[in-house]
Amino acid sequence: MRSEERAFVRPKRFVAMGLAIIVVFTTLTVRLWDLQVVNGAHYRSLAEQNRVLRIPVAAERGNIVDRNGYVLARNIPGFAVTVLPIDLPRAKQQDLASKLGAIVGRDPADVMTVIDQQRARNPYEPVKISTKPVAREVALVLSERPELFPSVRVEAESIRSYVDATLYAPVLGYVGPITEEELEAQRDEGYLPTDIIGRTGLERQYERYLRGTYGWREIERDAAQREIKTLSFKPPVAGNNIVLTIDDRLQKLLDSELRKGVEEDRFTQAVGVAMNPQNGEILAMVSIPGYDNNWFVQGITPEQMKSLNSDDRHPLVNKAVGDIYPPGSTFKMVTALSALTAGTATRNTVVNVSSMVMTVSGSNFYDWRAHGPLNLVDGYAHSSDIYFYTLAGGGPMGPGITPVGPENISKYGHMLGFGEPTGIDLPGEAKGIMPDPAWKLATFDEEWTIGNTYHEAIGQGYVAVTPIQLLDAYSAVANGGTLYTPHLLKEVRDSNGNVVYTQAPKITRKLAMKPEDLATIREGARKVVTSGHAPMPNAKLPIAGKTGTAEFGDSTGKDSAGRNKLGFHNWFVSFLPQQDNTDPTAQIAMVVFTFDSSKGLCETCLNPAIAISQRVYEAYVLGDKKP
Amino acid sequence: MSAKALDLPRASSPLHDRPHVRRLDQVDPFLLIATVLLIAYGLVMTYSVTAESRTFTGDPMQFVVRGSIWAALGVAAMVAVALFDYAWLGTLAPLIYAFMLGLLGVVLAIGRESLGAQRSVNLGGLSFQFSEVAKVLAIVVLAKYFADRGDRIGSPLTIAGGLVLLGPPVYLVYKQPDLGTSLVFVAIFFGIAFMAGARVWQLTGLIAIAGGAFPLIWSLLKPYQQARLTAFLDPYADPQGAGWNIIQSLIAVGSGAATGKGLTAGTQSPLGYLPIAESDFVFAGLAEDLGFVGAVILFALYVVLLFAALRIAFRSRDAFGMLLGSGIVAMLLFQILVNVGMAISLMPVTGIPLPFISHGGSSLVSICFALGVLQSVSMRRAAPELG
Repeated sequence: MRSEERAFVRPKRFVAMGLAIIVVFTTLTVRLWDLQVVNGAHYRSLAEQNRVLRIPVAAERGNIVDRNGYVLARNIPGFAVTVLPIDLPRAKQQDLASKLGAIVGRDPADVMTVIDQQRARNPYEPVKISTKPVAREVALVLSERPELFPSVRVEAESIRSYVDATLYAPVLGYVGPITEEELEAQRDEGYLPTDIIGRTGLERQYERYLRGTYGWREIERDAAQREIKTLSFKPPVAGNNIVLTIDDRLQKLLDSELRKGVEEDRFTQAVGVAMNPQNGEILAMVSIPGYDNNWFVQGITPEQMKSLNSDDRHPLVNKAVGDIYPPGSTFKMVTALSALTAGTATRNTVVNVSSMVMTVSGSNFYDWRAHGPLNLVDGYAHSSDIYFYTLAGGGPMGPGITPVGPENISKYGHMLGFGEPTGIDLPGEAKGIMPDPAWKLATFDEEWTIGNTYHEAIGQGYVAVTPIQLLDAYSAVANGGTLYTPHLLKEVRDSNGNVVYTQAPKITRKLAMKPEDLATIREGARKVVTSGHAPMPNAKLPIAGKTGTAEFGDSTGKDSAGRNKLGFHNWFVSFLPQQDNTDPTAQIAMVVFTFDSSKGLCETCLNPAIAISQRVYEAYVLGDKKP
Repeated sequence: MSAKALDLPRASSPLHDRPHVRRLDQVDPFLLIATVLLIAYGLVMTYSVTAESRTFTGDPMQFVVRGSIWAALGVAAMVAVALFDYAWLGTLAPLIYAFMLGLLGVVLAIGRESLGAQRSVNLGGLSFQFSEVAKVLAIVVLAKYFADRGDRIGSPLTIAGGLVLLGPPVYLVYKQPDLGTSLVFVAIFFGIAFMAGARVWQLTGLIAIAGGAFPLIWSLLKPYQQARLTAFLDPYADPQGAGWNIIQSLIAVGSGAATGKGLTAGTQSPLGYLPIAESDFVFAGLAEDLGFVGAVILFALYVVLLFAALRIAFRSRDAFGMLLGSGIVAMLLFQILVNVGMAISLMPVTGIPLPFISHGGSSLVSICFALGVLQSVSMRRAAPELG
């Protein structure tokens, strides 16, 4: 009876309905498990990305100062225009790009590309649109009309400023926007696409000290991209300041002398480097012509770039370290030390330079005069070519003399630092050429000749040096036999002035040479000034040194600056002992190199480097503050 | 005396009912407890997802206060309806049907536009969503229709007649336009017809026809409805546009992880990433704040409620009561599936409220009304010990 009465109840359908309930909730639960338990962390980070925007707060780059605290590179406030791609609807990108392009002076297509690239890379990171700092008024317009400039942020940005610009450009280098490749390589070190990075010079060398550490500001924002509140703030850590070994006073003395020489058309280019021979500290480094490194910081124009690239004097190269030249007679020091150390000659080895022409194997080799009998000191002081031909390769005017030979000269040349970089803390150092017969065979597939030996003995031929190598080698002579690694860094200080690193003197090697032989060279070098080749009228200081004339390049035509090319270039490398004796006490050594300063290989021609060196030493040491 | 009384055909007439005392015994406790807990859960969630919203009135509790008033009204309606014999509803079914169509017509005539659709009507400062009421009324009408045709249930004509009844409300709701709610009507129809014993091939045939007519239906959809469907298939095709809601909802749900961020501690909703977080996307807010645990507790309450409802239907004294219960189960199950499914990207986005949890008086009171009817069915069921 009951079954008939309740026939409307169909148990199977109830079972089906119950199953439907179970299936629905099982499905929902499984899906939730996957979303929340399995992938919860992923979605939580997405929610955080929605909500939290981490805005980097740029850190000040460290200043660069000279050894007395005079500021060479600092930062001045400006404004950077950036775009955060995630905040920029694609539909508005074109419009924004053309507006921003007009404001920051950039092709709108470029702006589009930059934003697209950043969008692909990481849309949550801002990308800098301005290539150079924008004016305050422009910054105000952009930040006060966010509806017209969606996703645009204007941030205070410190711009590098080089106080003496051209004077220090070859040493300091400059900073510039990080490139795509550098960013890729250095992202782990905290670089951002908007970063600037040291491109050359000390800015590049000491990037790791100068660069600060980004701070972060985390803001919470709503779906309409309004900033709700600052969640956290980690202040940036300013970069360390760098104290250089440079003495600005000496730098300016040297520069003004060299610049005046160029302006008076006594030569066309010049290098001057001063160093403390007792520890390798560089006291001054001038390379003329230089360039205005502020151009690069403020966004170099194509015209400016073109003017630099088309200048055949290569203003972007720091010639003190980056280019190589024949050392001329300054190299006689190497020939002399080779002979002394190898034992083929002594201070008293005499060559009778009875003629200004020496004939060997049918070839003539010249001196600048018939000096008569010369010992090593006098041969050096008067820069007798035949004296050093004979020491190196033997000859009819010194019949008893065993030639020291090109292998020994190369060996001791290398010992004195030639043919290898000095290791100075600057990028782009050239290593020069310190040839020997094997080198010639390997390079030119030719046998070494006696002529090669003679030419090498007086610093011509294949041998080529950088000014810093020459200075470093003479410094080793001046200090009694220690070859130091030249360096520009004195110490690193944090932004509070605490010293965090002090550069100790770095010894490249102790010369395996006898102290008395080095003293003989010092004696000769002093005699160069007192009675030899580099007269210094009214000398107030016991300066010692060696002249040299390098012959290379064109001797006709004009350079980019419209000055005559002469093809002969003068060296004077010198040091200043504490007293007028041969003790290795010099606290300062200097190399001056002037381009196109002679019309011929005439050792009596005026070598402007001598007088310049004298004036700089006297003004610097005797306290003449007038540059 | 007692034996004679037992012989009375008491199930056949609402006028011969058993005493109230006896009936109160048969209030279904599972249904009651689940209902009360779900209402409370809904108020908690309303508080949680609206606490931080920056309202112009500045009153953080305004949604909770309003929700509480509606909850009180809903409970009152539930108690009141339970006290009456549901058989009256069957008697009044034709009037109810006319009344329902009237309500839906009024919405189209004077409804207030909100989010591009006319869905609510303002009465004395309160806004009513008549389609929520209409769903429950449709259950009554369809239950009565199929209950009266128990002996002809296999006939295609019976199904066809049901479709004729279903058509006008579905059309009127669709015109609002409210595609989601019109689909709820369809779900109710299928649920009741199925439980009434309709031939499975007839029902599946209807679904097949609907499937075959999909291109036609697609062409009738409004562009934003089409966009929602395509966004459902690939939300990342337009993450800032049509896919935005889906993606943000998934982020809200997923970021809740196992135990949630804590009440009011979610970020997706107060910062505006989660749209209409107190109603359509309330589940995403719940899952963000209370996590997997909170969601499973909600599901457990739903399962208790639905099985209690199903049991009441099973034990109903007559086919009308059984089909009322079935319709209510079908409606709630469909709404839960679609709303939760939407939040977790198993279903396309439609504006169907989540029973009890979505903030909205019309929905809550309508459901309470339906559950009152269900308690009425329970209280007047065939006493099993007498069977």
